[in-house]
Amino acid sequence: MTAPLLAIRSLRAAYGKIEALKGVDLDIKAGEIVALIGANGAGKSTLMMTIFGRPRARAGRIEFDGQDITGVPTHEIARLRIAQSPEGRRIFPRMTVAENLQMGADATDSSEADRASGLERVFALFPRLKERMTQRGGTLSGGEQQMLAIGRALMSRPRLLMLDEPSLGLAPLIARQIFDAIKTLNRQDGLTVLIVEQNANHALKLAHRGYVMVNGLITLSGTGSELLQRPEIRAAYLEGGRRE
Amino acid sequence: MSANPAVQTSRAPGAAFILKKALVSAFVALVLFSLMIGVRTEAGPQGQLVYWTRFGDLAAMVGAVFGGSIIIELLRQWWGPVDTVKVVPASVQRGLSLAGRLLPPVLLVFTFLVPVLFYNERYILDLAILVLTYVMLGWGLNVVVGLAGLLDLGYVAFYAVGAYSYALLATNFGLSFWICLPLAGILAAFWGVLLGFPVLRLRGDYLAIVTLAFGEIIRLVLINWQSLTGGPNGVTGIPRPTLFGIPLSPADDGLAALLGIEFSPTHRIVFLFYIILALALLTNWVTIRLRRLPIGRAWEALREDEVACRALGINTTTTKLTAFATGAMFGGFAGAFFATRQGFISPESFTFHESALVLAIVVLGGMGSQLGVALAALTMIGGFELFRGLDQYRMLVFGMAMVLLMIWRPRGLIGHRAPTVFLKHSQAISSDLVKEGHG
Repeated sequence: MTAPLLAIRSLRAAYGKIEALKGVDLDIKAGEIVALIGANGAGKSTLMMTIFGRPRARAGRIEFDGQDITGVPTHEIARLRIAQSPEGRRIFPRMTVAENLQMGADATDSSEADRASGLERVFALFPRLKERMTQRGGTLSGGEQQMLAIGRALMSRPRLLMLDEPSLGLAPLIARQIFDAIKTLNRQDGLTVLIVEQNANHALKLAHRGYVMVNGLITLSGTGSELLQRPEIRAAYLEGGRRE
Repeated sequence: MSANPAVQTSRAPGAAFILKKALVSAFVALVLFSLMIGVRTEAGPQGQLVYWTRFGDLAAMVGAVFGGSIIIELLRQWWGPVDTVKVVPASVQRGLSLAGRLLPPVLLVFTFLVPVLFYNERYILDLAILVLTYVMLGWGLNVVVGLAGLLDLGYVAFYAVGAYSYALLATNFGLSFWICLPLAGILAAFWGVLLGFPVLRLRGDYLAIVTLAFGEIIRLVLINWQSLTGGPNGVTGIPRPTLFGIPLSPADDGLAALLGIEFSPTHRIVFLFYIILALALLTNWVTIRLRRLPIGRAWEALREDEVACRALGINTTTTKLTAFATGAMFGGFAGAFFATRQGFISPESFTFHESALVLAIVVLGGMGSQLGVALAALTMIGGFELFRGLDQYRMLVFGMAMVLLMIWRPRGLIGHRAPTVFLKHSQAISSDLVKEGHG
């Protein structure tokens, strides 16, 4: 078995006195889609942010491609080509789609050719963005904004793409398009993806493996289909506690 | 308006409604003004209370409110509901966009010709120099407030640092203006970074308070550090700028004597005019260039969403510090120019009022628009002079004009933000269509 691309060992993080991560272990192998599911406030987003250096880890270790990145500043982590599509999309509303995409490439040292090929790749994945290139980000629909957020993250040619709730607030049909795009990225380009989702059904179907997080701890892990079969997962995250 | 009378009458409230509204306004005015205007009290010669009534004035005021209320309501009906989309004919739109494209070059050419056109009108030349100084300050602050979105209420501090840098270096060490100008810029940029560090984590209101305090600290230091700055007496005898070492004076080695023409004090004014014009254009050019580079894009992205910037791996620390430093540097240049123009500076020239004025220019201009800032500086400084004849009502009229302008154009004179990345064709979208906030 090869060493994982991202290895997290007994990671702890806190906001002031409130401990959000209480010793998390997680592995992502190259070329995998890993889903992280859990209820509101379980610490899923915090885990993603901590990988990115904000908030800083209180204890534990994060290794990316064998390199310890636990104390590395946020902007240097991005330089290692870990990209993030933050929760709530957070595109730049007054800047055009083209400018938003350029911003994704700015942080990493990319040549003009890299930018051009990056743009082509994003436009191939989301043709809608090409049509809307000169529009302001704020005038896009929710689904288009999510496409833009993912496209922006892709512009840095990441080795690991982290997506925080990409289906949040989207119509089911649009959400499916987004998930299909993630699948395409993974199958065609071998992109490694960590996806944080509340939409457990979709995420687990898409993912090779999944982790379930409760109160700052990983309580379950396994392949996507394994987790989907487990009755406690079905009860807690898929059927809304509904008994048949 | 009469095109569709049926719709108009069904939507517009009747005369009864307008009368009722005006009556309510008049009643409120009556209650408010009955004490403020209706009764006048004063301490009598023996300290007793003397009062008399002014019911005539009161009635006039209430009548004015009543009439004004009716007029406003009628105007509102004539204008139609606020959210109706007004379709501008295509020909007018084309004309407007052509005028918009022609305006900057025309304005620039006109500015270049100002000393030629108004050579004998000292007042206009002085006013033009003043306007250009504020255009430059506005463009400098625009980097910090308009592009990077960092609300800076203490911009005058950098103006002061620039002015005092030149004044002290020139009077103490005899350095020339052209050597001191970059030094003043560098020193101001240094202070910009110094201010930047403690406020890195602050945003919005908190940042505004700290920068406000910073501006005051600089001013108080200037007042109290008497041995260096001369305290409230300021610095006098600041040398005038020279043209490659040739002074513009009536002396034998002056420019006029060398060229063999008769000396006139206007030469120096025209020279100063072109210096500040060059400085302002430099500011504009640098800002436009920077906006197209990653650093400029990062500034704008920082204004839009700081969290997203970090998620993209933008180093927000250096981004903020460079914005502060760049803005401060231009403030420093303008300050050095101010010192050499005035020949005398004192802390009185660097009060909060100046910061507020420059900030008002940037906001009025449309936060980030270069042309908007220039037009706003012209409006503010020029308008200020225009209303001079109104004496004590000047500020009142001026304030009212600003309020009206902000109602009419809440995003400033030019709210449209020009894109910096062009791929094929650019397509303008009115900023009115874009909501502020996080997508």
